[in-house]
Amino acid sequence: MATESSEGEEEGKITGGNLVLAVDDDLCEMGKKAVWSVSSCKPGNGVSSLRDDNLDTYWQSDGAQPHLVNVQFQKKVKLQMVALYVDFKLDESYTPSKISIRAGDGFHNLKEIKTVELVKPAGWIPISLSGNDPRETFVNTFMLQIAVLSNHLNGRDTHVRQIKVYGPRLNPFPHQPFQFTSTEFITYSCVR
Amino acid sequence: MEAILVDCVQSSLRHFMYRNAIFMCERLCAEFPSEVNLQLLAGCYLQNNKAYCAYHILKGTQMPQSRYLFAISCFQMDLLKEAESALCSANEPGAEVPNGAAGHYLLGLIYRYTDRKKGAILHFKQALSIDPLLWAAYEELCSLGSAEEAAAVFGEAAAVSIHKQYLPNGFPPQNADMSSEDHNVISARRSMDDVSSRQLKQMLGNNARDVAGSYHGTTASSQSSGQPLNGGSSQLSLYNTPSPVATQSLQLSGAAPPPPCRNMHPNGPNLSALGADSSPRSTVNSTIQAPRRKFVDEGKLRKISGRLFSDSGPRRSTRLAGDAATNATTNVTSVAGNGASNSSKHLGSLKPSSAALRAVTVRKGQSWASENSDEGVRNEVTDDSRFNPTLANCSCPSGDNRTFDQEGASMPVAGPVLTIARVLTGTAEVLGLLRLFGEAYRLSCMYRCQDALDIYSRLPHRHYNTGWVLSQVGKAYFELVDYMEADQAFNLARRASPYSLEGMDIYSTVLYHLKEDMKLSYLAQELIATDRLASQSWCAMGNCYSLQKDHETALKNFQRVVQLDSKFAYAHTLCGHEYVSLEDFENGIKSYQTALRVDARHYNAWYGLGMVYLRQEKYEFSEHHFHMALEINPCSSVIMSYLGTALHALKRSEKALMMMEKAILADRKNPLPMYQKANILISLEKLDEALEVLEELKEYAPRESSVYALMGKIYKSRNMHAQAMLHFGLALDLKPSATDVATIKAEIEKLHVPDEVEDCL
Repeated sequence: MATESSEGEEEGKITGGNLVLAVDDDLCEMGKKAVWSVSSCKPGNGVSSLRDDNLDTYWQSDGAQPHLVNVQFQKKVKLQMVALYVDFKLDESYTPSKISIRAGDGFHNLKEIKTVELVKPAGWIPISLSGNDPRETFVNTFMLQIAVLSNHLNGRDTHVRQIKVYGPRLNPFPHQPFQFTSTEFITYSCVR
Repeated sequence: MEAILVDCVQSSLRHFMYRNAIFMCERLCAEFPSEVNLQLLAGCYLQNNKAYCAYHILKGTQMPQSRYLFAISCFQMDLLKEAESALCSANEPGAEVPNGAAGHYLLGLIYRYTDRKKGAILHFKQALSIDPLLWAAYEELCSLGSAEEAAAVFGEAAAVSIHKQYLPNGFPPQNADMSSEDHNVISARRSMDDVSSRQLKQMLGNNARDVAGSYHGTTASSQSSGQPLNGGSSQLSLYNTPSPVATQSLQLSGAAPPPPCRNMHPNGPNLSALGADSSPRSTVNSTIQAPRRKFVDEGKLRKISGRLFSDSGPRRSTRLAGDAATNATTNVTSVAGNGASNSSKHLGSLKPSSAALRAVTVRKGQSWASENSDEGVRNEVTDDSRFNPTLANCSCPSGDNRTFDQEGASMPVAGPVLTIARVLTGTAEVLGLLRLFGEAYRLSCMYRCQDALDIYSRLPHRHYNTGWVLSQVGKAYFELVDYMEADQAFNLARRASPYSLEGMDIYSTVLYHLKEDMKLSYLAQELIATDRLASQSWCAMGNCYSLQKDHETALKNFQRVVQLDSKFAYAHTLCGHEYVSLEDFENGIKSYQTALRVDARHYNAWYGLGMVYLRQEKYEFSEHHFHMALEINPCSSVIMSYLGTALHALKRSEKALMMMEKAILADRKNPLPMYQKANILISLEKLDEALEVLEELKEYAPRESSVYALMGKIYKSRNMHAQAMLHFGLALDLKPSATDVATIKAEIEKLHVPDEVEDCL
């Protein structure tokens, strides 16, 4: 997994990847509430292939680097993790190698929050967005931008097969300052 | 030739050979077109679940029995307006509703589903007054929230009217349908009230009488009173009176003494067969068991003829076998659609029994009664058949319905002596049982669950250990939020009747609350294997997925339930819950409102709406909805605590605190109201009191991280840093969710700031 330095921007090398994406129970996928767009694409391999839950279809860019995937939400959301599915064995020179994740209110004030470098990845790559500070477990933002800065073997265009964005699950019981953990509380806290 | 054809049709129906029956009947109608034959054909179709066929052939007919059958087909096809106009045409407001109690019951259902609650209540009450053993009508009244006390409904007046049914001519030993409970089925015939006794002799005696007289005397005249057919007799009588009905009933009876029955059936043609009856009588005596079965069959057959309780029958699985039995007898009498009003009554009663059987573990073969009594309508037959299998499963004490055929002769039950004494004791027994059940059911519908449980525990063991009662007990525990007990009760219910799906949706919710995912998935798989088209199976499946937090699949499953049965309010509520978990509030609100349209007393839907508005911060709406939920179910501490939260959000904190106190008192085991109380006190700046409450709460739920976190916050605002640190630490140890970890750690950091400043310096 990526190593993190204590500074804000850091570089870490990630090798390999998981075949199955294992996500914590208290995370839920937030991508459905967002508008997804890409900087460029080849006809037939557009942005919908990024969100179709099908690992055989992929997005192929068709322009100059860096290639961008923009995820825009209607209201500020807390995000904790981004997961990418890329495969060196299938995509070779199209496989992204350097990825930068930026967040902000819109295109005008995006700020880089994470950089990772992939080395021959094959499978799901989870990228955590948390900082070291416990106050920075989540990134509270309107927009997320995933930028592919360079590819393996110096390829020009990139293939990404799937992207998922995760944030914390809402407290199922409104108006509580903290979520409940014990069975007694949870059993009594709702009527089904 | 007509008689032969009629006979053939009825025998086919009795044996459930529907294709044969339909073909023969169509030939009959082509050869001898008459309305009575049309009724027989309609009955065949309805038994075969082809309501649309019956609808078309009966359109425009005027005879009361035809109108009744037509109404049933319309109801099944969901054409409620036509059904209603068939039963009580607008042109003749004073006309009598065909089939008495059964007709009123059907009208009540129609009114209920077209949102005319008052009219529905009126009709159900009418039905009950005509036929006090019509348990299904009482059930509907309970679920509409306006049932009178069981003691009143199943009291003196009821006894009197049952006596009249069984002793129409005063004291002739008519078939007392009063087969209390068990005998209900046959009861029509058997004035034996010894339900328990199921005495063959009675049957024997009754048979003769039943056939002839039981059916309210009138039938007696039609039939040779001497008919020995026990089970059959009752049926016979039913059948005899109206010839078409009779024939139908014969089919139902399939009972052993078919010949006698058949003879009996056509009033005209086979009276000679009566003689044959005597023989069955002797046979009856020999096999008590056999007769029972026959009775059951008869009941079923009967049912078919008159009642066409096709929907009510199967639906009312809860027609306790026991109750049904009693009802059956009454129902039968009410059935009297065709001509012989008496007979129908018997049928009616039988029907309920069959229904009961179906529903619950057959309680002692009462089912037969229900089945038997059913109107000669063939429809009943189908019901019966349904019951029969159930009966078969349940160890019916008395033979199964399945042995319809045997019934006539074998069931001496109805047959034997319908003495007045028997009638009286029988009525008393049946009504006594119904009183218990009725009161318990009424209380559980009013959500006075503890009282309901007390009454259920007073039931005799043989009734208590049946699927229906056990699942009602489970439901009562569920409402009391005592999920462990509910789990146990439902488990026993599953073991008592593994084929019964009634109440299994609540069981799946109980397992959901207990977070038993293995048990829940096992239950769901079993239910689906039992019946893929039942709404409860898919509810269980949906709950299974919801427990694993796969809300989308859960939603799909619940939508399937809605497709299968749009009148199932709980399915809509569960859909609503899933939409809310997916944060799709608009659809959630729509689902909850649909649930409320189906059943305005479904407090879960009111609660769901309250929660949605709470989340959307529309506190006024939220408070109103929680209030409505609380009115329906005044004992639920969960609803009280949420109502308090809504009041607090509306800044009515005094009332909010009072509500919390009420909730704490209502259920000591519920930790939530105390926690909410502490929250409110904190926002009112009464930190000490809040701390006290939280300390108390710690005793109840020592492993709840949010309690420690909240205490930590209080200590922090009091600047008692050491305590705060301690509590935050404890909270973190108990593994809260990621968001909370972040919040708590942030709080800790803030605590440390003064120290850090010192360190840096």
